[in-house]
This record gives sequence, structure tokens and C-alpha cells, in this order.
Amino acid sequence: MFLARFLARRLAQGALIVFLVSALIFTLLRVVPGDPVRLMAGGMAPEALIEEIASDMGLRDPIYIQFGRYIGGILQGDLGQSFVRPANGAAVGGASFDDSTRSERAEVWTLIAETAPMTLQLAVLAMAFALLIALPIGIWGGLRPGGWPDRFALYISSVFVSLPNFWLGIVLALLLSVKLKLVPAIGYEGFAYTILPAFVLAIEIAPFIIRTLTVSVAGVMSQSFIDIAAVRGLTRNQIIFRHALKNSSVPLLNLLGVQFSMLLGGVLVIEFIFDYPGLGLLTINAVMQRDFPLIQGIAIVTAAAFVLINIIVDLAATTIDPRLEY
Amino acid sequence: MSLDMVQTKTLLSVRNLTVTLTGEGRDVLKDVSFDLAPRQILSVIGESGSGKTVLARALASWLSEPLAVTGGEILIEGRDLLKDPAYARTLAGREIAYVGGNPAGALDPTMTVGAQLVEKLRAVRPEISAADAREKAIRLLEAVKIPAAERRFHEYPFQYSGGMMQRAMIVDALMSDPALLIADNITQPLDVTVAAQILKLMRELNEDFSTAVLFICSSLPVACDAADEVMVLHDGRVVERQAPDALIDTPQHGYTHKLIEELPTLWAEGRDQAQPQDRDRRAIMSVRGVAKHYETRSASGKALVQAVRNVEFDVFPGDNFGIVGESGCGKSSLMRLLTGLERPDAGSIFFEDENVGEASPKRLRALRRKFQLVLQDPYGSLPPQSAIGAILEEPLKIHAIGNRAERRDRARAAMSEVGLPTDLYDSLPTGLSAGQRQRLNVARAMVLEPRLLIMDETLSALDQTEQGKLLNLFERLQAQHGFTYIFISHDLTMVRQVCSRIAVMYLGETVEVAPNERLFFDPGHPYSRALLSAAPTLEERRYRPEDCLMEGEPPSPIDLPPGCAFAGRCPQAFDRCLTENPRLRSRGGQALAACHLNDPGES
Amino acid sequence: MSAIDISPDLPSKARAKTISARIWSEAFASTEFRIGLIVFTLLVAAASLYPWLSDVDPTKMNIRAKLSPPILMGEGWSWSHPLGTDQLGRDMLARTLVGLRYSLLIGISTTILMVAVGAMIGLFAGYFGGRVDTVLMRLTDAQLSIPMIILAITILGVSRPTIPSIILVLGLAGWPVYARVMRSTVMAERKKEFVRGAMVLGATDWRIMFTLLLPLVLPPLVFVAVLDIARMMIFESVLGFLGLGVQPPTPTFGNIIADGRKYLMNAWWIATMPGVFLVLTLTSVNLMGAALERARNKIYAGA
Repeated sequence: MFLARFLARRLAQGALIVFLVSALIFTLLRVVPGDPVRLMAGGMAPEALIEEIASDMGLRDPIYIQFGRYIGGILQGDLGQSFVRPANGAAVGGASFDDSTRSERAEVWTLIAETAPMTLQLAVLAMAFALLIALPIGIWGGLRPGGWPDRFALYISSVFVSLPNFWLGIVLALLLSVKLKLVPAIGYEGFAYTILPAFVLAIEIAPFIIRTLTVSVAGVMSQSFIDIAAVRGLTRNQIIFRHALKNSSVPLLNLLGVQFSMLLGGVLVIEFIFDYPGLGLLTINAVMQRDFPLIQGIAIVTAAAFVLINIIVDLAATTIDPRLEY
Repeated sequence: MSLDMVQTKTLLSVRNLTVTLTGEGRDVLKDVSFDLAPRQILSVIGESGSGKTVLARALASWLSEPLAVTGGEILIEGRDLLKDPAYARTLAGREIAYVGGNPAGALDPTMTVGAQLVEKLRAVRPEISAADAREKAIRLLEAVKIPAAERRFHEYPFQYSGGMMQRAMIVDALMSDPALLIADNITQPLDVTVAAQILKLMRELNEDFSTAVLFICSSLPVACDAADEVMVLHDGRVVERQAPDALIDTPQHGYTHKLIEELPTLWAEGRDQAQPQDRDRRAIMSVRGVAKHYETRSASGKALVQAVRNVEFDVFPGDNFGIVGESGCGKSSLMRLLTGLERPDAGSIFFEDENVGEASPKRLRALRRKFQLVLQDPYGSLPPQSAIGAILEEPLKIHAIGNRAERRDRARAAMSEVGLPTDLYDSLPTGLSAGQRQRLNVARAMVLEPRLLIMDETLSALDQTEQGKLLNLFERLQAQHGFTYIFISHDLTMVRQVCSRIAVMYLGETVEVAPNERLFFDPGHPYSRALLSAAPTLEERRYRPEDCLMEGEPPSPIDLPPGCAFAGRCPQAFDRCLTENPRLRSRGGQALAACHLNDPGES
Repeated sequence: MSAIDISPDLPSKARAKTISARIWSEAFASTEFRIGLIVFTLLVAAASLYPWLSDVDPTKMNIRAKLSPPILMGEGWSWSHPLGTDQLGRDMLARTLVGLRYSLLIGISTTILMVAVGAMIGLFAGYFGGRVDTVLMRLTDAQLSIPMIILAITILGVSRPTIPSIILVLGLAGWPVYARVMRSTVMAERKKEFVRGAMVLGATDWRIMFTLLLPLVLPPLVFVAVLDIARMMIFESVLGFLGLGVQPPTPTFGNIIADGRKYLMNAWWIATMPGVFLVLTLTSVNLMGAALERARNKIYAGA
């Protein structure tokens, strides 16, 4: 059975990738300078106390032992606990160190599970906007290579790709939210708060879709089976909608797979600017607070998401073009 | 089909058709006029550049920039297609069907063949229901002798072989019961035996479906085989039109005359045959039981492709040894083994008593000075950004031969020897013609002064005249340097002209090894006979395709039958052929064949 | 498509040039490329000359002239500060142009680093195939599956960001895409007959890889890398914005905009004006890059 073997193979490869990612991140975090315990315990904490907490948490063991312990936890579905965040309420400030007992700290898994849906909502809406903008421009450009729709696609994608997301976010927030009061921007108090961030994200993604589409549509349109279809008696609409678009969607799918991490990178910055309570904001805060378990957890979850999305993309591509099934 | 069309006296009349290459202002078709009767098969023949494909496209209303019709009429039922584009559009794909020379790229790769056949019919005849269309498609797939048509209907284009796909494209054309079928070079990409089957099929269909056929091709023998009448196109003009026999016997135009004259012959006697073999000579290359398989992933898991198996032959110094076979017979894999690019899984390849298959990489590199390869593709085989001189000096640099000045002298000497002007030394090969590029390839191979040259389809990309020139060059070089040649080719006429001994390959095996005369006049294997019967020639055939070849395709090299691989297409196969694979056996006089029929016990 | 047999051989002049030269001339002929080139040249000239010619110190504070708006916009503008001043009275134009210098420096060196690393890994994976390929490509996949920006801010966030560390981190995070592209082109080229020809002549793998394949496949890759200079400049500014880029008082696009964000309501120009410059620079680079990419696709499709 093709599907079963395909899934088995890809999931095994995916597990390997996630393992490599966790090893990479884990090592990086321990090699770079900076002691998280000092941050947790606060600047005023005595050296002896820091050492005590550190060895309590196993942070003074050799890296491979720490990593083994960590992987053991992951296999049981335990991503560990945040260094900094309590189980309920906001992040703990650095100055006090009296509430750093382990039992009270938040589970990394819970933190991720709480914020991920918000990010998913943002990403899906952004993708919808991006497709809405990019599909017509890209397809039209691809159907008229060298003509002005093609040129338009080139210029607009060059401008879009040159707009830094954080700057565009600020400018649009200033214009649409503060001056014109069209959409709310900062924080999250309902679905409307997703619209502006999603739009900014869409502008970031759209040029890549436009470029891929113009190239792939133009490429498919110059293939012989499209050329000969008119001689076989098919109408232009049949040729474009039933054959050309279907064939050019495979590169688009592949783009979505490869550029997934770019999308996440965008999410991170956008959430930071709009103070949108998703995974991206969580990541930035985790980095600023040197919350190692949380950083590791997020990296592993995103790597797993990347693997899954690529499996889905490949399956979809195989359904469209059965030649890819090997 | 519309009956009124069949009843009119002429189906298609072309009057003074002129097509111009706009921009250059050059006429590609000049004043072309002809008539085509219903149910007639008319061949159009001409060399590349004669305008025959432009004619086909003009008739199919498929001319695009920079080509434009600048004069004349194309009349169907008395209505001019050129003046009435709307009428032309209703005819396209419906009354005028077109089959091209690129079956592999003719259908959408992401849809099943069946779905596209149905789609096409319903596009031109929307009144037909999907179920009826489907039924018709399957019926026609059966009519063109596609086995298991019902199952094939649901398969994708990439699952079809080239010949099978061309059959499907014929079905695609016939779906709408057209009055006219334009067949533009349809046999060109196919192997000779498959092309012969398609030709036979086309004649049968012409009778069954009463469709007129305009058969366009560049090979005179094929054109004569296919048609009731042959029209010769030269430099955009119709120069003559006759029935095939009359055309060959009494060509009216000088061009036709020259065309017939130049055609190499298969059976004519009296060519200079290679010197009789000296029994005591030691073989320069000796191949014994060589096999190679590759792993591929297929839909049902990993599979072994048995590209080469049981290959055996000897090549003697001064020989012109030929290896012939159709695509997929393992020629290219064998070439990679002979040149040490890959190592065999079994068997041995001895070059001057040294096993190429087991030599260390270092030893192999040293051996390479003594045997060289000239590749097939004149465009892909040269490094695209090196100057001609640098290309020729590269082998000398690799083997650290000579200093800078010596290498330069040797490169220049090689250039003049193969007939390349030495002032091209510093230029890129991009401006060279295909023939010049092959000369450069030969020069690069011989600059190391090897003993053995392996020619992998070296001439197949060249036209007849250029081929002749290069063959003369090979002969001269052989006389001067004492080279031994191995020609790997699919072209029987070329092999007949130059080779002293020939090995025939089928599905990875050498099924016959014999001296030239013996192979052509007394083939020891039914496949050799089938191959000979299908070779296009104007001569009286010694073997008729009908007697030598059954319908069907070669089996897949992944899933080989236990017995003889040819048994499925062999008219003389019997029980033993299905269970036991025959070994290569001597038939006396240096001829060997792998067929049970040669077993004294069987005949 | 079956070729129309009208002109069997037309050895045009263009064919006699090397592929890179053809890509250049093709790109240079396009309007997009020229517009991009002109804007880019002006901006680079300004960035290299203005701070030196005008003698304005981008870090010099002048509280009396603070929050002065750009020319002709709002009240109290002056010719001496064409783009206005920030909350500490520092000249915005000088700060922006100095920011542009750092942005270009980091963008270009990062791109060079990642192309070099990616091309080498791709070359080895594509040429040798088999186990080498599997190992290298799994590594690439792993690297590709961590969003680049997460990796970068993680490393820079826990260590101290300096210019070399920023270049190193961005460069090492960005190579996988190049490795993939390089691998697939090398694999395609490797199958071609001229490579087989070189092998038969007795050339070593090393010789084929570095004298035959690399000069052939690297230039097209480099043309496309122009687009990534722009991408890396954006990353640099994002890092600056998050406080993980080149540290103040050195002005960069990112930290200027991050600063200006606090004064968005009463001094909108601090955050927006550097952004306009950044967008202009990026658009010019992107136009050139896109023109080069198109030229490359066109040449390869027709070659």
C-alpha cells in the first residue's frame, strides 16, 4: 500500500529531523554564554544559592546527560517546565527569588497549547489574504509572459517583498487604526484584532506566491500538451482552468512547504509589534527571559509542525500529479 | 462522421498556399496546391526545412508567430478555412484531427488518458454523454490493440510506453470520427519495430474508419510504405506527386532522384566487406556473461531493473564491431560498463587481458588512455563554457602529458586531422554545427592516442550527408592509427555499411553475434529477423514484417518472463521458449545466436 | 513542442557568449534592472558620501533642535535637518544613511557566507549522491525546519550581538535553501554527457567538481542571491528592531524605528522616514535581483 509506506517513511524521517533540531537547539543554548539561573534567581541572589538551584535543576550535569534526560521527557510527552513563568499569571520579574520553587512553574506544553491556536488563526487568515491578493496577479502574469500583467506582477512583488513587516505594521497601525480608526490593532480582544496583523503578514507572503505562480503558469502554458490541446479541439477556458492551473499548482504547494518557516518568522515579528498573544510573542519573551525549556519546546513543536506540513504538502502534490508517487 | 463529406469528390483542396516567416520576409511554403480525396492516404515527404511541418500546422489552423499565411486557400467542402476562422475552429479536433511526433508530451500528465479522451470528445461534440464517450474510448483503445484497454483507460500518460502513447493519440484523433487525420512525423520517436506496428495499424484504421490521412514524414521508405500516393516537398514547393512504385521507378524531379540515390541500401551486394578474420589474433576486448541491474522505486516498492544480462562477445584489433538494438535493450548501460563508468554485477570485461570491471580506480584511469568513448549528443557532450583548444587539451592535462606548448601542438594537430579549422582554437564550441561538434568529440577522444574507440550513437544526430563524411573520416583515421571501433547504434543501415561484425541486443541480452553478411542474409534469431523486416528500405524486402513480428510490446525489464524474452512477440515461439531461456550458441563460421530453433534437436 | 523545421541552424551571435555574460546583458537590457541600478547607486553614493560631506555627526545630540519634523512637514522644520530630528535632536538623515551602511555591510557579507556554505554542501551532496547526500540533506532539512529568525534571535538573544556574530548567525541560518538548489542543479548537470565525457577521459571527481561543474552552476546561483541581500537586510533590521542587532548608539534601521515607535503619536517621522529609505533600498535591490532571476530563467529555458 503506497500511502502506508509513504507515511511510515516520512514520519520516520520527520522524527529524525525533530531529534536533530532538539539536539541542535539544546547544545546551542548551553554553549552560548549567559546563565539562566542568575536571571531566574535575580541579580541580588548569592552565588551559593544560584549554584544550589542550578544543581537542583540538573544544570551542572554534562550536556549529554541533560540532553538524555530531556529526550526521555519528550518521549513521555513532557516538554519540561518554564524556568520563569509561574503556572498562573504573568512572568515573574527578575528581582524577587522567593517564588522559584519548581512545582509552581508553568508546563511548557501548556504554554504552547494555549498560544498555538491564536497563531494558527492568524496564519490561516494571513494565508487566505495572501492567496486572495496573489492568485489573480500571479496567474494573470503567467498567462501573459512579457506583457504588462507580467510586468505588473514583477513590480508589485518587488515592492511587497521590500516592505519590512515591522515597519509596515507600524505604519498601517498608525494609519488605519489610530488615524482612520478602521480596525483595532494592539492586543487581542476579539477576532477583529487578527485582521490587521494578518494583512501585514499576507503582504509579506504574497510576493513569493506571485513569483512562483507567474513562473509555473508561464512554464506550463509553454508545454506541448497545452499547445496541442487547442488543435485537439479544447476551448481556451478548458485548457486554462482544467489543465494549466492544475499543473502549475504543484510548485505552489512545494513553496508553501518550504516557506513555512518564513511564515513563522513573520508571525513572530508581527505578534511582537501588535502585542498579539500567540506563539511568536511567547517565543520572543522566552528568549528575552532566557527561558531555555520554553525555547526548546517551541523549537521542537515548530519543527514537528514543519515536518507534518511538508508531509501533507507532498501528499497533496502526489494527488494532483501522480508522477510524483514513487 | 458527416456522410456528405465522404461523398464529395475531394475532401481537401489546397490552392496556392503561401506561408511566410514574418520579420525575415522569407516564404516557407511557396504556392502549394494539392487535392486529397476522402479515404486517401497521402504521404508528404521532405527534408528538415522543406516546410512539411508548417504545412501540417497550416492545415490544422495552428500557425503561430512568426509564421503567417500570406496567400492561397485551404478549402474543405468548398469553404475556405483561412477566410472563415470560425468555421476552422469548429473543424479543429472534430473533422480535422492532428497527431504529432511527440506522444509523450501530448497529454496532461496529471489526468488519466481515459478522462482526457472523454474530455476531448465532449469538447467537440457536447451532445454525447460521458458514458457513451467512455464506452467509445475503450472500444477505440481496443481497436488500436492496446491490451487490457479497460484498465489502461484509467492509467496516466506516464504509465504508457512511447508506442502505446502514440496509439492512444491516434484514438484521441479518431474519437470524433474525423474526415481528415494529419499525421505529422508520428513514427519518428519510435523504435523501428514499434513504428512498423503503428504503420500497419494506421492502414487498417484507414480502411475501418474511412478517414483520409495526410502522412508527413522525412523518411522516403516510410512514406512509400504508408501511403497510396507520395508528394515530395522541397524548399517549400511541391516538386512531384506519384504513387510510391512509380515514384521510385521513374522520379520526375532531380531532387527526388537525388533522394533515392543517396538512400543507403541494406541488401545490395558487393560492398567492401571487412577482411576475413584472422583466427589467431587475440581479442582486444572480451566480454563474458556481463550483467548489471539497477534498483528503482516503483509503485509496489523496490524493484530490480535488469538492464544488462548475459552479454558476451569478442572484439578483435582492427574490427568495426557493431552493437545494435532498440531503445531499452541495454545499449547505454552496456556502454557504461565497457567504459568503466560503472562496474558489472556479474561477468567480466577484459581489455587487453585486464579486467575493466575490477580494476582499481587508479588503474582504470591509466587504462583510459587506451580506450576512449565518443558520445551521442553533439550538444550535451561538450563542456559548454570551454574553448575548443581547452577542450582538446583537457585529456592531456588530466593524464599529465607534455608541457604547455606540446599540448597545444597536439591539440592543433588533432583539429586538422578531423578537419576542423585550427583558427577555431580559441573560440567556444557554441557556433559549431552538429557535425563539427562530433568531429571535435572524435578529436578529443583520439588526442590520447587510444587503441579502442567506442562510438555511442555518435552519428544518430547527424543527417545523411554529414554521416557519410564522418564515416569516411573514421575509415581514414583507422587506416592511419590502427584504431579498433565499437559502434553502438540503433540504425541498421549504418551498421550494415561500416561494421564487420555485429551483436544484436534485446532486453539486455546479446541474442545474436555474427559477421555482417551472415546477420543480414541468414539471421539466426527471430528478433534479428523482425528487426531487419522493420528496417525502412526501398529495396524489395527479404523479410516481411507480417511474418516476423507479432503485435505486442517488449516485456518490462523489471518483470521478465522466465523463458526467452522475445517469446511474446515471436511468431515461431513454442513451449520450450516460455520456460527456458536459450543460451548463446555457435552456428558455425563465427556466428552465434541464442534461440532454441537453432538447437539440432528442435528442428 | 515539436520544433517547426524552418531554420535548421541559426548560429546566432548571442550563443557564442558564456551563459553568465548572456544573463548580464539580458538583465541589463530590462527597465526594471536599470531603475533598480540607478536608485541603488544614488542611495549608496549618499550613504558613503553624505555623513562625510555634510559633517553631521549622527550620534550628536542637540536637545534644542529635538523632534524637528522633516522639510515642509509640520511646524518648525529646518533645512539643516532634511528628515527632521529625533527625541534627542540627532539628525535623522545622517542616522538613516549610517544605518544604510551597516545594513548593506551585513546584508552582503551574510549573503556571501550563506551562498558559500550552501553551495559547498549542495555540491558535495549532489555530486556524490548516496549516503553523503542522505546525511547532508537530513541536516539541511533539520536546519530548514527551525524558522531562521527563531534560531537567530535565540542565539543573539542569549549571547551578545556584535557585527561578526550577526553575520555568522544569519549566514549559518540561511544556507539550507542554497544547498538544496545547488544539489538539484549539480544532480542535473552531473547526468549530462559532458560530465560522463570528462570521466571517460580519466578526470578525478575533484577536478570535475571544481573545474567543470562549479564554474558552471555557481554564477546562476549568485545572480539569484542578489534577492537574498535584500532579505538579509530585512532580517538585520528585524534584529535591530527587537534589540538584537548592532547595539546603540550605532544607528541602524531597526533600532531607529524601534526608538521612534515610542514617539509615534507626536513625531511620526522618526519611525517612518528611515523605513521609507529602507524600502527604497530594498526595492532597488529586489528589482535588480528579480531582473537577474528572470534573465537567468529565460536564458536557461532557451539554452
